[in-house]
Amino acid sequence: MTQLQARALVKSYGPTPALRGLTLDVAEGEIVAVTGPSGCGKSTLLHCLAGILRPDAGEVIWRDHRIDTWSEAARSRLRRTDFGVLFQFGQLVAELTAAENVALPLLLAGTGRRAARTAALTWLDRFGVAELADVRPGEMSGGQQQRCATARALVTEPQVLFADEPTGALDTLAGEQVLTQLVRLARRQRTTVLMVTHEPRIAAYADREIVMRDGAIDHTGLGLDAPMAGGTR
Amino acid sequence: MSPGTLTRLALAGNRTDAARVALTALSAALATLAGLAALTVLAIQKPPGDAHQQSEQYVNALLREPGLRGGTAFALLLLAIPVLALAGQSARLGAPARDRRLAALRLAGATPGQVTRIVMLETGLASLVGTLVGLAVYLVGRELLHRPDANGQLALPTDVLPPVPAMAAVVLGLPLVAALATAVLLRRVAATPLGVFRRAARSGSPRPWPALLIGFGVLAAAMIEPIQRAFRDARLDWLAVVVLIGLFSAVMGVILGAGWLSYLAGRVLHRFAGRPAALLAGCRLADDPWASSRTFAALLAVVVVGGGAAAFRAYFLLNEQLQREQNRQAGYDDEAGLYGSFYLDTMDLIDLAIAVAVSIAAAGLLVTLVEGIVSRRRAYAALVAIGVPRATIGTSILWQMLAPVVPAVLVALGVGYAIGRLLTGEAVRGGYTQEVCQATVELCENPATRAEYTELVEVGRVVHTPDVPVVQLAMVGGGAVAAVLLTVGLGVLFLRSNTALEELRVG
Amino acid sequence: MGVVSTSHVLLGLLATGTMHGYDLKRAYDERLPQARPLAFGQVYATLNRLLRDGLVVPAGHERLAGPDRTAYALTDEGRAALDQWLGTVEPPMPHVNSALLAKVVVALLDADADRARTYLVAQRRAHTDRLRELTALKTAPEATVDDVVAADYAIAHLDADLRWLRTTLERVADWHREVHS
Repeated sequence: MTQLQARALVKSYGPTPALRGLTLDVAEGEIVAVTGPSGCGKSTLLHCLAGILRPDAGEVIWRDHRIDTWSEAARSRLRRTDFGVLFQFGQLVAELTAAENVALPLLLAGTGRRAARTAALTWLDRFGVAELADVRPGEMSGGQQQRCATARALVTEPQVLFADEPTGALDTLAGEQVLTQLVRLARRQRTTVLMVTHEPRIAAYADREIVMRDGAIDHTGLGLDAPMAGGTR
Repeated sequence: MSPGTLTRLALAGNRTDAARVALTALSAALATLAGLAALTVLAIQKPPGDAHQQSEQYVNALLREPGLRGGTAFALLLLAIPVLALAGQSARLGAPARDRRLAALRLAGATPGQVTRIVMLETGLASLVGTLVGLAVYLVGRELLHRPDANGQLALPTDVLPPVPAMAAVVLGLPLVAALATAVLLRRVAATPLGVFRRAARSGSPRPWPALLIGFGVLAAAMIEPIQRAFRDARLDWLAVVVLIGLFSAVMGVILGAGWLSYLAGRVLHRFAGRPAALLAGCRLADDPWASSRTFAALLAVVVVGGGAAAFRAYFLLNEQLQREQNRQAGYDDEAGLYGSFYLDTMDLIDLAIAVAVSIAAAGLLVTLVEGIVSRRRAYAALVAIGVPRATIGTSILWQMLAPVVPAVLVALGVGYAIGRLLTGEAVRGGYTQEVCQATVELCENPATRAEYTELVEVGRVVHTPDVPVVQLAMVGGGAVAAVLLTVGLGVLFLRSNTALEELRVG
Repeated sequence: MGVVSTSHVLLGLLATGTMHGYDLKRAYDERLPQARPLAFGQVYATLNRLLRDGLVVPAGHERLAGPDRTAYALTDEGRAALDQWLGTVEPPMPHVNSALLAKVVVALLDADADRARTYLVAQRRAHTDRLRELTALKTAPEATVDDVVAADYAIAHLDADLRWLRTTLERVADWHREVHS
């Protein structure tokens, strides 16, 4: 079953086009990596699909619902319940502890504090950072912060997880540990994952790789215009 | 979202947030005091008697005379304006960190409504604490100050209490209004989870359109006299509203005009500055000219009022002088009588209020300045790291404040004075006929013979123009600029701790 | 890629305890899962050589229903040889996959742009497919540390190939633009 669809998405920032009529289908439980050079529009695609940005034209369809026409509040609720969002950094609330950060989506949805904390501790434990529950993000390493952020993105057991350069700020090993855990949990729960990255090594964690160039999908995967051959003599 | 969660999220914050909450509470307390004072003045009951029956239990005429109490209450309420400006300026304290936090909340799936509620709760609670403190201070203060003097008269109306519903409206209404205002101010931040990554660019550079607002304000003031003359007999209560709207429009014009002045000053500095300090200041001014409008709003509003007050004082002084002359000519003592002293005393009170307002505005200015330094500390630390002396940065901040504020204060003084001058008009003497009895006192006092010796004498119309009160205008303007200088001096003290090179490593 | 010194790997395995030839083969394949599996013949040939050089000694017989099974143990000389091998730096190899380098250069030199493009697309796909395969192997819940270490090695090299491929394509495209504009 198709989980998420982009239909002819167009999005511009002022005169600069970021998406030029991009179409994409993502199946349920599929892990898709979106790659491409910087400025190709991959983050914009992710933001449009996650309902953070509204496309200028085109449709975003999630399970037969056209969500790009939904109100800001409705899309926020969707992000809280059925979508998870994971960014490179800066997504944890600096003033809250790790457990509170992870519990945040549940608290916002009205779950009681005790139940939310229990769930948060379970998820922190799954990412091996249970001992940081009462520590604030400022006192953690980048890897620990990202584990907390990942736990938060998954605490609502979302149907789709959106990850924008999730390991961009981490060293290789920390990044791999976060990703490995994320992919394992996603596969176990049949969570659809849409992940933006510019690294082939990270994209290899996905079932499928989409290469973007200039706001559209590049089917050659090379990300280059012809001519690229024809003699260097 | 449960109330507990809401409160937890509203109270999450760092030290800057705590400072903002404290300042919000302080402003709310000050505003409550002003409001309650005004209510108390209004609560004074007129003793039975004719319309001019005075409340003899007070020392001050402003409280005694029923006709003046409305104005007194209004003046007290006007004091709340710089207080509100202070509140507005403290709301910006720590704003970047808070915006980041709110964007993070949005990213975690909070709806714009939830984020708005969180912030409203923070402001609302802080203001409620402030208004409650204000109420407590008021209640304790009226007990402590209730000291009748030797004549049994009171300095302050500590013998009356405003109606409880009115007091409740101030104590509870102020936090509500503050919360609503916060919600409006935060619309843009609440709108997007990516709020902190993309800054909405203000379109275009400032243009001198605010001059139109000033023109309208001055025009409104100028129209008052002709209108009064045209409708000589009608009651023209709405004219007061016109004056208020005109004044408001002129003040807004001056404040918005500060943006344009600042832009202009920035361009000029940028072009002609030879030294790095002025160059830096010029760049920053031209880059964000509206910052000046926001920073100096309260101060400029006070200066406009100060300019107007100077015009009024000049008018009253002239009247007093004319009265003295008239009295001298009529053979009485050389004294101005109650008239002069009463109005001049009132003007003293107004000048005191202006001085208080300037101090409050300067406090707001300090908050803004320190906040600006703190939020740009990485940029400043980077400058220090590449070898720019701290003195240069301090000088650039001085330039940045003085370059727009000096012309803006001059404009504000001019506008305020012009409006005040137009409202008071000239002091006209004569221009009427007078019965003069040309005989001895006995004949004149005898009604039978009086008519015989009485003539109608034309008294020449003399228009006296009040002098421009240069000294007082200079004092208001100089005071405002001195307040700015003092603020910069205090603010620069924060520069040292905020340009420590360790700041560069703070993520 | 450097040729694996089978004898040193066997010495290393024996350093953990005595083993039969069959156990040695299995341990070798487990520890180096991405390497070519070791043939039995090669195990015994290597063991004989080590025996001859006095690096290992037979350590008891076991005669069950089947062939003669001799367990082997490390001698002091054997341990010294192992230590020396571990102490020697492997020469860094500049040409990880010279076949790929040669082919890409030839393809780029080729006047037929379409054929070069087809080849490069296919080569990139093959690389990314293999990368994904290895990553899946690594992230599987049952993956052992040996699996992960071996996969990491291959992944790092494939990743390097892909980066190099991409940089080369961009470089050639830039060069082309400059020359033909």
